[in-house]
Amino acid sequence: MKRSWDVTRAATWLGWQVEANWADPVLFLAYSFAKPLATTLILFFMVQVVSAGNATRETFLFLFIGNTFFLYVSEVLVGLSWTIFRDREDFETLKYVYLAPMRMLSYLAGRAITKIATATLGTAAALLFGSLVLRLPISFSPETLLALIGAILLGLGGILFLGLGLAGAALVMARHSMNLNEGLTGAFYLLCGAVFPIEVLPQWAQRISLALPFTYWLELIRRILTGHPYAGPLRGMGDGALIGILALSTLLLGTVALAWFAWCEHTARARGLIDWKTNY
Amino acid sequence: MNLGAVLARARVRVVASWRETSWVVGETVFPFLTMAAFVLVYRGLNAPRIYEAFVVLGGAMTAYWNNVLWSMASQFFWEKEQGQLQLYLITPVSRMSILLGMALGGIAMTTTRAVAILLGGTLLFHVPLPADRMLPAFGLFVLTLAAVYALGMILSSVFLMWGRSAWHTVTLFQEPVYLLSGFYFPVRLLGAFVGGLAALLPITLGLDGIRQIFYGKEAHGFIPLAWIPPIEIALFAIFLFLAHRSLLLMENLGKREGRLTLRGG
Repeated sequence: MKRSWDVTRAATWLGWQVEANWADPVLFLAYSFAKPLATTLILFFMVQVVSAGNATRETFLFLFIGNTFFLYVSEVLVGLSWTIFRDREDFETLKYVYLAPMRMLSYLAGRAITKIATATLGTAAALLFGSLVLRLPISFSPETLLALIGAILLGLGGILFLGLGLAGAALVMARHSMNLNEGLTGAFYLLCGAVFPIEVLPQWAQRISLALPFTYWLELIRRILTGHPYAGPLRGMGDGALIGILALSTLLLGTVALAWFAWCEHTARARGLIDWKTNY
Repeated sequence: MNLGAVLARARVRVVASWRETSWVVGETVFPFLTMAAFVLVYRGLNAPRIYEAFVVLGGAMTAYWNNVLWSMASQFFWEKEQGQLQLYLITPVSRMSILLGMALGGIAMTTTRAVAILLGGTLLFHVPLPADRMLPAFGLFVLTLAAVYALGMILSSVFLMWGRSAWHTVTLFQEPVYLLSGFYFPVRLLGAFVGGLAALLPITLGLDGIRQIFYGKEAHGFIPLAWIPPIEIALFAIFLFLAHRSLLLMENLGKREGRLTLRGG
């Protein structure tokens, strides 16, 4: 256990160095804030352009919250599989990780913590920007913040397990399968209603949406920060039910992701893919 | 020989783009889904259908911009990391021919993605793309691509010298450019000053012009359509000249400072 924790801690530090030691802190912060602030403003202008219609301040608030917290999904999902590609093909260190007396899972957990940290920076910046610059009515009371942290931690479990699944796929796929991983994130962005109410989706897509843990996670966060439900099909569901579904789906995802990762890892080692190079 | 280098560098990308099934799916279906999310934002806001068309056209152009960033601007940096850059430098071909090959191959690769987005947008969201205006729109699109990829050529040598920070700089050029270039809304909304600055990127005016060709006044054009083709041609010529100069400059600087290869051990 202690060994695993040491590996995770070292991998977190390594991840932080990879992420942040290339620039001075100001430039690094600009980089961390660029994506969330830019997407916030894109949505802001999209709502502005149709403000003569049905778009209200509250409409934007819901889009804003969904988009802001989705950053965790995109950072961790894409980030973990990038870790595999970068370590395998750019730094050529993946083989040494496998040679070292440690478990890959502990190493990836550490690298994921770095991604969670950078996502938290971006999310916090976007929330502050929304509250202070765009004057959005977001509650930051101690109770709200406590509930928010709990909800984030709960959701992060599912995100981490899914990220682990994608990292497993990255072990057996060529570098350009990164498009698949980024695309999958795009699919989640679409299906979990990050930036629009899921009732806009056709019935079949709504059914997929309701099978995704992120849909419930974003709904829970929206309720915590605004005090109102958002997604039509989830209006009749209490907060406890949302938490229950999230916890259950995290458990399920965890079981599947761990089994899938073990299979991918075995396949990659058996086929000699640990030091594969696939850049064109 | 230079023409051979162009074709050879382009061929690698064309062949690679069809070699892996995952690549084809990743390049077509999934980018469409991200674009669809933004279409549904407008649908959720009950916006006029024309705004959905803005997103579809913007989504198609996003594919090219991403290709310029990830496969042009950062490519030399990646090739340096993998030890391939030095091989280019010892061959007796113009470096510009390598860049041109990368650009042509990149355009071929990305067109699959852009076509998927356009087809999906037209068929699934019934976005109007008037057939009688296709030809002028295509003409402006070609001019825009020429200028955008010429910009990519400049960035490739600049990014090469930036080293590892290039990787992150690409991210800085992604979503912020989606915002500034009005990929999902008319750039006019940003105001004259910000819009004017964004117009230095050829993709901003190109997209604005293509929307104006298709949708006329409803496109809320930033500048008159007639001005856009000459500006794109001028940008293309300037960027190509600058790309040539910056490539020479960076190569010489890199040779003097020993930064064209990775240091061992």
